[in-house]
Amino acid sequence: MAAVTTIAPRSVSATGSVRNRRIADMTATVVLWVMASSIIVMLAAFIIYMVYLGWSALTPSFIFGVPQETTAGGGIGPEIYNSFYILILTLVFTVPIAVAAGIYLQEYSQPGRFRGVVQFSAESLATIPSVVMGLFGLLVFVYLFKWHFTALGGALTLTLLNLPALMRVTQEALSSVPDTLREASMGMGGTKWQTITRVVLPSAIGRMTTGVVLIAGRIFGETAALIFTAGLSVPYNNPYSLSPWRPAETLAVHLWYSHSESIVPDVARIGNGSALVLLIMVLLFNLSARIVGRQLTKRFTGRAE
Amino acid sequence: MIEMTESAAATTNKLVASDVDVYYGNFRAIKSASLAMKAQKVTALIGPSGCGKSTFLRALDRMHDLTPGARVEGQILLDGEDIYGPDADPVVIRHRIGMVFQRPNPFPKTIFENVIYGPRIHGERNRTKLQEIAEHALRGAALWDEVKDRMQRSALDLSGGQQQRLCIARAIALNPEVLLMDEPASALDPIATSKIEDLIGELKEHYTVVIVTHSMQQAARISDDTAFFHLGEIVEVGPTSRIFTHPKEKRTEDYITGRFG
Repeated sequence: MAAVTTIAPRSVSATGSVRNRRIADMTATVVLWVMASSIIVMLAAFIIYMVYLGWSALTPSFIFGVPQETTAGGGIGPEIYNSFYILILTLVFTVPIAVAAGIYLQEYSQPGRFRGVVQFSAESLATIPSVVMGLFGLLVFVYLFKWHFTALGGALTLTLLNLPALMRVTQEALSSVPDTLREASMGMGGTKWQTITRVVLPSAIGRMTTGVVLIAGRIFGETAALIFTAGLSVPYNNPYSLSPWRPAETLAVHLWYSHSESIVPDVARIGNGSALVLLIMVLLFNLSARIVGRQLTKRFTGRAE
Repeated sequence: MIEMTESAAATTNKLVASDVDVYYGNFRAIKSASLAMKAQKVTALIGPSGCGKSTFLRALDRMHDLTPGARVEGQILLDGEDIYGPDADPVVIRHRIGMVFQRPNPFPKTIFENVIYGPRIHGERNRTKLQEIAEHALRGAALWDEVKDRMQRSALDLSGGQQQRLCIARAIALNPEVLLMDEPASALDPIATSKIEDLIGELKEHYTVVIVTHSMQQAARISDDTAFFHLGEIVEVGPTSRIFTHPKEKRTEDYITGRFG
């Protein structure tokens, strides 16, 4: 046994290296707090400025009216409609394909070459600039298929643009579901498909909804890919057409178009108003998607996350 | 339900493993393990960490099918039929053989949905019947009184011990013939552990129980037969009372007297 050494009396106040560590600790807290706060301040300033500029433009005739080509007083009704139309059409294509591909890769494929190749392709596809994807859409849908500018061509281009991201999100959401739950289900004689539909997907639905909200925000804001595929106009004889076979200028595209190409005199008013409406639409969509996601999670899991 | 008289049960082997090898890739984790598990008895698998007792248990339910690179050789007979035979269907086998895992793994669903998960995936749709099954299973797992008023609450709101009893209820809701338990109390506090142990004593009236435990006291308290695993082999098998008092093998003796493990 080693001899028992006596311990000299010590103080409880910080000195020497303890003091230095305390200072580093406080500095880190302050720096991180300032960084986080500055993001909130910038966002708030941005929103307040946009509201300040755009508020006066938000009249019923602006929100529900049709755009004008040469005179003042044009509205953005069809553009708002087209933004939602293209969003929904894109999601109708993107969600089933991306979710199915994500399920296959995460739950069925063995880790190996095929999975690696698909993931590498998806990641490469995800980094392609949207303007390049727009030019691809122009060549394929507009010229090769001779569809001209259509809502469908625009939605398909956006599908290509967003598939990899949503597939990735689906994979991440599925991989966050613990294997012990899969074992529990399989251990009771559940088939793989039952396990996926009854346990894995309900557990992952919250994260998947978040993924859909994120790509929806990108679709609302997308311009470059749509300028070449869905066009810069709305059909004047039927601006709220249900058909996908017609040009469909979205609000974000209209915002770009009115500032860069348009010859109407009230460009500033239209731009400021459109920007504010776009912002409100994105916020509303995010909020409602979050509520839906929470309801789904609650319904499937019995508790809100 | 198993149709079996008390006297017949005492002598019947429910599950018989013969020369079972389990491989992870090239690694032979279980070496020629043979073990007969008697109907309506508790068989305990003991041994030091990494000795292969859980690996062996998982082979009894074909859970290794789910692990890429794992394979099982040898024969495991359930009532005389090979569960690895060409006609054997894992879905049917896992319906007849239930499993409770080391850590409670309730689904992130309501308590009710958890209990009736098994019957539901096997096609039971009648709501009244499902409610009866749920109550029966929860009573069987000694959890009914604690949860009967909050069946629609999330199972994740339960304590660890309650979650594990819920997992047992979920397993017995399927009315399995064999119940495999992989250290079911290792993540629980002493009170919850003793509840689970009492429960196992009751469960063996209806089910054949095979339990992996790292606690020799637990094996001594609850099991009828004990198999001692070491380095992937079954070193010794016998009635629990004999294994703990008169082990035949030196390694068994060293382990139960605490010389290693």
